[in-house]
Amino acid sequence: MSKLEFHFTPVDGPSETEDSPNPHAKSTTFVPEAVKALQDTFGDDVQEVFLYANEHTVYVSKDRIVDVCRYLKEELGFTYLVDIGGIDLFTDEDRYEVFYNLVNLKEGKRLRLKTRVDEESSSLPSVTGVYRAAGWNEREAWDMFGLRFEGHPDLRRMFMPEDFEYHPLRKEFPLLGVPGSLPLPPQTPEAGLTLDPFAAAHGSKPIKSYEEAASDE
Amino acid sequence: MSVITEEAVEDKLSFWPRHQEALYRRLESKHSWLEEKGLVREKEADPLEHEMTLNIGPQHPATHGVLRCAVKLDGETIQKCVIDIGYLHRGLEKVAENKTYQEFMPYTDRMDYLSPYSNNVAWCLAVEKIAGIEAPERAQWIRMMMCELARISAHLLWMGVGLMDAGAVSVFLWSFKFREDIYSIFDEIAGQRLTVSHSRIGGIASEPSEQGLAMIKAFADSFPEVVAGWKKLLNRNRIWIDRNVGIGTLTADEVIEFGMTGPNLRGSGVPYDVRRFEPYLKYDDVDFIIPMREEGDSLARYFIRLEEMEESVKIIQQCLAKLPSVGGPIRVDDAKKGYPSKDEVYYSMEGLIHDFMYTDTGVCPPKGVWSYHAIEAPKGELGFYLQSDGTGHPYRARMNTPSFTNLQALEPMMEGAPMGDMVILIGTIDPVLGESDK
Repeated sequence: MSKLEFHFTPVDGPSETEDSPNPHAKSTTFVPEAVKALQDTFGDDVQEVFLYANEHTVYVSKDRIVDVCRYLKEELGFTYLVDIGGIDLFTDEDRYEVFYNLVNLKEGKRLRLKTRVDEESSSLPSVTGVYRAAGWNEREAWDMFGLRFEGHPDLRRMFMPEDFEYHPLRKEFPLLGVPGSLPLPPQTPEAGLTLDPFAAAHGSKPIKSYEEAASDE
Repeated sequence: MSVITEEAVEDKLSFWPRHQEALYRRLESKHSWLEEKGLVREKEADPLEHEMTLNIGPQHPATHGVLRCAVKLDGETIQKCVIDIGYLHRGLEKVAENKTYQEFMPYTDRMDYLSPYSNNVAWCLAVEKIAGIEAPERAQWIRMMMCELARISAHLLWMGVGLMDAGAVSVFLWSFKFREDIYSIFDEIAGQRLTVSHSRIGGIASEPSEQGLAMIKAFADSFPEVVAGWKKLLNRNRIWIDRNVGIGTLTADEVIEFGMTGPNLRGSGVPYDVRRFEPYLKYDDVDFIIPMREEGDSLARYFIRLEEMEESVKIIQQCLAKLPSVGGPIRVDDAKKGYPSKDEVYYSMEGLIHDFMYTDTGVCPPKGVWSYHAIEAPKGELGFYLQSDGTGHPYRARMNTPSFTNLQALEPMMEGAPMGDMVILIGTIDPVLGESDK
């Protein structure tokens, strides 16, 4: 059995420098040509470009996101939408971000778009018209963050029932949930609705399906 | 016990009324896939009342978990279908935000519980990418070998259950015999049969025992013969072919449009496999092929999964042959990046402190960066998008799970299919609700 040799006092410092590139960096995620094409076509609407771990992320303004997606799909061959997800930055300005993970199957390239969404409107255009696969991912972002995707054909909640009034992945939503926010079926025919899966954590007593014998005292 | 009155039943069992209402409204108002393609005839009067709305699931055994399909039937044909998921939603992304990176790893076992090892590896690789950690070579080979075992185990379950859905119970028992062998291997190597939690950030938890490697060798040697037996039984089996051929046919354009992944994508002739697209671990050092089919029906997907099992065995054999020559540690040798070995923890003060610090804080990727790492799980691309705020907890952990991606295409696949094909269609998508519901 091989033993771990262990050296004490590891060196602090940034994990990625010029000399030590990310060991998991892939060539697929490095797409300077696509970034250049986007910048040339959309000008100021391409706000920023980030590169970390050899992954390109392009920030675009939310008003143009549909145009950018259509351009990427039709002109640059990014036909395959892998993922859409929301991010809650919990900042005063531009509180939310939405990222779009696109793949060019022919050339074997990946590109990530990001767009900023302010808290006041909490809405952005839906890209379901371009990528049909965005349907469920946008529903999930609506469910989890309360981001309204304008033009989505079926913006119901994805996981939580419609009766639930909160958006759980927002940072202000408590980890243990909100008591009484999610009624569950009664546990016995006589009992009322169960109000919380974590009822005990909020101090309520579980409903018993049997009657306890009276104590002698 | 008192008898409950009728009103009380209605009152108590109609919880989540708004949810039900929205679901049925969607079922009434949506345009089915056939309507979108312009394949629906003019609607005739329905004097015999052929139309009915039916709920299948979430507690139906043929739905492979808690999948609920609300369908509108015209006689035997499914006209419209609305899929309702979320019955197994545990808020894993929220949980991840409140755990350290290493603490969250065991939760990934509970996502796709048919191939827990792949999920562990996917999570650890994603964390390693954002934090810039490289696992030692030996750990990578072992991870790859175990991931392929997990793939075989997941495909075995798919095959057994899929055939049971089609009415052949004997194959279910047959395939479970070999799943049991794989569970025994996991038990020997990871100490757990199902929820293995064997991968660690920066490597793996423990060196596989000699006996464990011998068990893998025995399994890999004997398994091709078993697959050959299944091929003999199924490839020319009239019933199995008839139940699958031409069912749920999707063209290459359609699967890309629906964003499907894994064998469902490759069954329609789209050559996308993350193991080739962006090789992780040591996949560019082993020799294997990606099975492809162009028919796009359930039968094509069956062939792909069967052939993937054979390819996995090839990869496992190559890993076993390679392992003796790849010595060295199985976990990264840096206390900021991975757990110290137990010897270190028990016999040195520094080791103990490092172990404590790693459990308490753990890996801290740079502030304000994000990255995405995907692997090819048995069901398709399983990726984690991580965003860091410089602390030991992920600021945002987004899971891109293949079952969720694939299930979206089940609605159009069901529309226009006969009711009897529903179980075949769910089987061919191969969803795991623990994964799709997060």
